[in-house]
Amino acid sequence: MFEINGGAAVHVISLSKHFGGAAVLDNINFEVAQGEIVVLLGASGSGKTTILRIIAGLEMPDTGRILLHGKEVTELPARERGTGVIFQSYALFPKMTVAKNIGYGLRLRGRSRKDIRKKIDELIELVHLEEHRDKYPAQLSGGQQQRVAIARALAYEPEVLLFDEPFGALDAQIRTRLRKEIRELLKKINVPSIFITHDQEEALELADRIAVLNKGMIEQIATPFDVYMHPETEYVATFLGAANIIPGYIDHRCFRCEDISIDLDDEMRFSNGQAASLVVRPEDVFLRKPENLIQKYQPLTDGIVDEVSFVGAFERVSVRLAFIHDKRMIVTRPKTETAAFPLTIGQKVPVGVVRFRVLPDNNREPVQRSSSAAKR
Amino acid sequence: MSANVSGVKHTRGFDVIKPLSVSVLIAIMLPLVLLPLASIFVFGTSNGLTSFWNALVAPEAIFALKLSFATSFWAMIFNVIFGLFAAYVLSRYAFWGRNAIIVMISIPTAIPTAVAGFALLLLWGPYGLLGRYLPPDMQIMFTPYAIILANIFVTFPLAFGVIMPVLETMSRSLEEASATMGASRWQTFWYVTLPSLRGAIVGGALLTFARAVGEFGSTILVSGNLAGRTQTAPLYIFSKFNEGQVEAANAVAVVLALFSFVIFSVLFFARDWLEAD
Repeated sequence: MFEINGGAAVHVISLSKHFGGAAVLDNINFEVAQGEIVVLLGASGSGKTTILRIIAGLEMPDTGRILLHGKEVTELPARERGTGVIFQSYALFPKMTVAKNIGYGLRLRGRSRKDIRKKIDELIELVHLEEHRDKYPAQLSGGQQQRVAIARALAYEPEVLLFDEPFGALDAQIRTRLRKEIRELLKKINVPSIFITHDQEEALELADRIAVLNKGMIEQIATPFDVYMHPETEYVATFLGAANIIPGYIDHRCFRCEDISIDLDDEMRFSNGQAASLVVRPEDVFLRKPENLIQKYQPLTDGIVDEVSFVGAFERVSVRLAFIHDKRMIVTRPKTETAAFPLTIGQKVPVGVVRFRVLPDNNREPVQRSSSAAKR
Repeated sequence: MSANVSGVKHTRGFDVIKPLSVSVLIAIMLPLVLLPLASIFVFGTSNGLTSFWNALVAPEAIFALKLSFATSFWAMIFNVIFGLFAAYVLSRYAFWGRNAIIVMISIPTAIPTAVAGFALLLLWGPYGLLGRYLPPDMQIMFTPYAIILANIFVTFPLAFGVIMPVLETMSRSLEEASATMGASRWQTFWYVTLPSLRGAIVGGALLTFARAVGEFGSTILVSGNLAGRTQTAPLYIFSKFNEGQVEAANAVAVVLALFSFVIFSVLFFARDWLEAD
């Protein structure tokens, strides 16, 4: 009935949901291609769990549609959708062995004992749980339980795998290792997958594409590289990685804030007087005059070193900018830089950036050119 | 100096509190619980095992024990199924009046058993609210069915009370996982929910059964206490004692006491086994 081209495995079309007058989801649209991993990244309350539950059929949207491999499933109950959900706590059946958990979906589908056995063997090998076949979930570690949950969902060849914060219950070291393992596994079996998480590092590492959610809306959906390097909104810039935000306005293809003036590329289209923010990652700030920098360098202003702290691989510097009262910029410098140009507190330094984004700020009203000058 | 200190072995004075407190515990229990129970066994077998055995196999005694177990069994079956159903409905759905229903289910434990029996008489007795409409050959009071009814009433919330908390704390995601994997509600209940309730169901059943076997207050009112027809084991003990046949009463008392002991041992020790995977 609904012909959607591209043959994507999952289509989420203008999903909206309200709860007690407040919008939980507001016009959510995205697709997942066969074998693609999409991560829904957002703070708690951003609506990401609701999206997952709607796709799985555990919740109903107010409006919008879900298509799985081109088939409309919006009205279907969970059991007829064929999704594989990996719950946050894994939800393994405590009274069934590993093998029985994995075979459950096939048993429900009335497959023969022989078929079920064969499939269980295959999956147990895939997730490396050979020695744990006859154990009960309570006897397994968190990572092993998670692998059972994945194998259990894969057994009946699901239309899509849905992961609900799957690493939340594991400790940090295991988490990093499992992320790699799971990404490799998913790429091998080529199943479309949707993860939800609030952990930006997890999202960057796992995803083919990241959808950043904020207050029930998708702020940006793009590859991890693009989301990090070319954030489209201030929220995305600050949620993924750290960012210095300098509020200003647009003035004839220039970004202005006090005595800062930056020429903008032609392709960045803003209206005159529009409120905008200069967004700079800490690693893109430069605290000395460029001598032979290959990257393009944009001087901003002068600053005074406020604080220098050593954080592992980097040095973190806080610089008080000269032009705005109490405005500080956070800068990270690699070891090569700190060795060659050591900084002391109170030192006056030139502040410049090698990479930046200017983003429209829709929360502030457009600024009259004169009002800004009058502030000083 | 410090070298010597490391070689000194720590000794702690004899802790008198521990043996003392255990002794006090036993001393309190002795006259209140242990001695009464012991005297049943002492008196029951004081005239020799043969006379104990003869008292036990008296037709009326055998009948009373059988009747007690049979009526308790059916009350148990009913209350476990009802308790499971009620716990499932009340833990899975939120609706107006839910708490009122929970309170109503629990009320029978708070009502004196004699009042419960009296209430049943007022409803089902020959002149009762509903009983008056029953034809004479279908009267249920003063029959074994009345005993089952009374047992159901007084043990009504026991199985529910054991099953409900287990169902309420069970993670909803287990059932959701089952549904996303393709299970119908019934399949989810049968394969996922019920196995997790195994311990609670057995526990609730034993509790109901044990309580029903010992029921006296309501039974004596609704049964009519007819020896060989509607006389349960506790009524038999009461009647024989009143008639001065202490030995006959004692024999049945021994059986009931042993029975409770077995039930609660099973409850205590089988719990781990039932809860274990």
